[in-house]
Amino acid sequence: MKSAQSIVQEMQPEEVEETSIVSMRQVSKVFPNGYTAVENVNTSIKEGEFVSFVGPSGCGKSTIFKMISGLISPSEGELEILGESGSDQQQQSNDVGFVFQDATLLPWRSVIKNVMLPLEFQNLSKAEMKEQAEEVLELVGLKEYAEALPRQLSGGMRMRVSIARALVAKPKLLLMDEPFGALDEITRQSLQSELLRIWESQKMTVLFITHNVFEAVYLSTRVAVMTPGPGKIASTVDIPMPFPRTDKVRTSHQFSDIVGKVSQDLKF
Amino acid sequence: MEHTSDNLHVKERLEDHSKEREAAAKRRRNIMNNWVPPMITFLVFLSLWQFGTQWLQIPVYILPTPTDIIAASIQNSDRLLASATTTILESVIGFVFSVVIGVGAAVIMASSKILERSLYPYAILLQTIPIVAIAPIIVIWFGSGMNAIVIIAFTIGFFPMLSNTLIGLNATDRGMINLMQLYKASKWEIMWKVRLPAALPYIIAGLKISCTLAIIGAIVGEYIAGIGGGAGGLGYAITVASTTMEIPYLFACGIAASFLGIAFFLLVSLLSKVLLGSWHESEMNVEN
Repeated sequence: MKSAQSIVQEMQPEEVEETSIVSMRQVSKVFPNGYTAVENVNTSIKEGEFVSFVGPSGCGKSTIFKMISGLISPSEGELEILGESGSDQQQQSNDVGFVFQDATLLPWRSVIKNVMLPLEFQNLSKAEMKEQAEEVLELVGLKEYAEALPRQLSGGMRMRVSIARALVAKPKLLLMDEPFGALDEITRQSLQSELLRIWESQKMTVLFITHNVFEAVYLSTRVAVMTPGPGKIASTVDIPMPFPRTDKVRTSHQFSDIVGKVSQDLKF
Repeated sequence: MEHTSDNLHVKERLEDHSKEREAAAKRRRNIMNNWVPPMITFLVFLSLWQFGTQWLQIPVYILPTPTDIIAASIQNSDRLLASATTTILESVIGFVFSVVIGVGAAVIMASSKILERSLYPYAILLQTIPIVAIAPIIVIWFGSGMNAIVIIAFTIGFFPMLSNTLIGLNATDRGMINLMQLYKASKWEIMWKVRLPAALPYIIAGLKISCTLAIIGAIVGEYIAGIGGGAGGLGYAITVASTTMEIPYLFACGIAASFLGIAFFLLVSLLSKVLLGSWHESEMNVEN
């Protein structure tokens, strides 16, 4: 853990570049059927942050993510990702990684071939692809399972493969849509710790959707609390607890105080 | 590392050879359980047939005994072999066409909803017209012989390939397609890397139906469009045997056709094992 600590020291606030990686101004999304999914969302996410979006189902968390990933475009407002406006996102696909609740692995491909998938859309040689894939598999602790098939792995390990696949193209921004929602609590906690370790070592920005307040507070530098009907960001709560966060953090007073505050905001 | 216990669990699953040996023994027992009962049924059936017809003194032109049929096959082995070879050739060519054109048409329809909507109903129409009505028309257009028979075999095997492949291509996991779109993959990259492999189990199911249908198609074709001698195939041989009252040979031809179907099906099943064995539920030896 020493190495992780030294990296955190390098990341002291004064050294972090204050450029915003995602910025949303008055963004709204109204679907063709007239349903307003999100309304007047304003937010700015800086490089190196770990921001969680917490809220009940139907509060527009996933809609915000779909807009950031470019799957849908906002009906109103301005959206900028990595300094480019939402409409011309063609060039930046390698800079954004995605992890969904489902691991969405190809069952006929081995672990390493699944991880190599995003690289197949870039001009890389087979050797380079293999090297990068092995690197991220080592990062998620699955190097010896490179040749295994997804069905031979447990749910937690499949999620690790999915995370490795998202990281293989070295994204600046990682979007995670309820990645641990389908896992049991024990696996979930161990993956949370690992995600933090990876985030600290890779110096990337993570946006994380969850409806688990404990998970949001444990992982994040900042939590955006969302409320439904129509979806908007009700409040943003800074989490001042230092990194690396050990499991002891989960039982500290400060932790439960913040969880209490976020839960309060969730109830309007 | 937090994940060691998790990994150990899987390691157990991957490396436990004694369990594998146990599974092999279980498979052998399964083979015994699966094969012995139908074999006994078959032998009982054969002896009832053999001794029943002898005892009831049923004439050979109504129901020949199994030994009569075997004798007729040996006596006419040259004719039978030539006919069977022709039928194999015609059905394999027809089958290959139905696979290539069926999968190709499904890929085209799956990549455009408009094309699917405008073409698929006519594929169903083609399927619903009885083959015995289409066959004479094909003979009129393409003449008697090989060409017409291959086309008839193709026509009968085409629709199962098309509809199975189309269902498979349209059933691909939405999440996976979304992910590919996020990677800015082109339509054809998604087709090639995700949709076609995901449709493979459905394609194999189509192959299993079409391979036996191709034999039936070839024989129906020969029945209508067969040309003389061995080159006429089993279907033609059946028409000849029935008009000349060679009843044991007629039975031999029918049984030979059924053997061809079984052999063809087993070959496709083997292919299925090779292609899907490692990852698809349908071809895995599930232990639980």
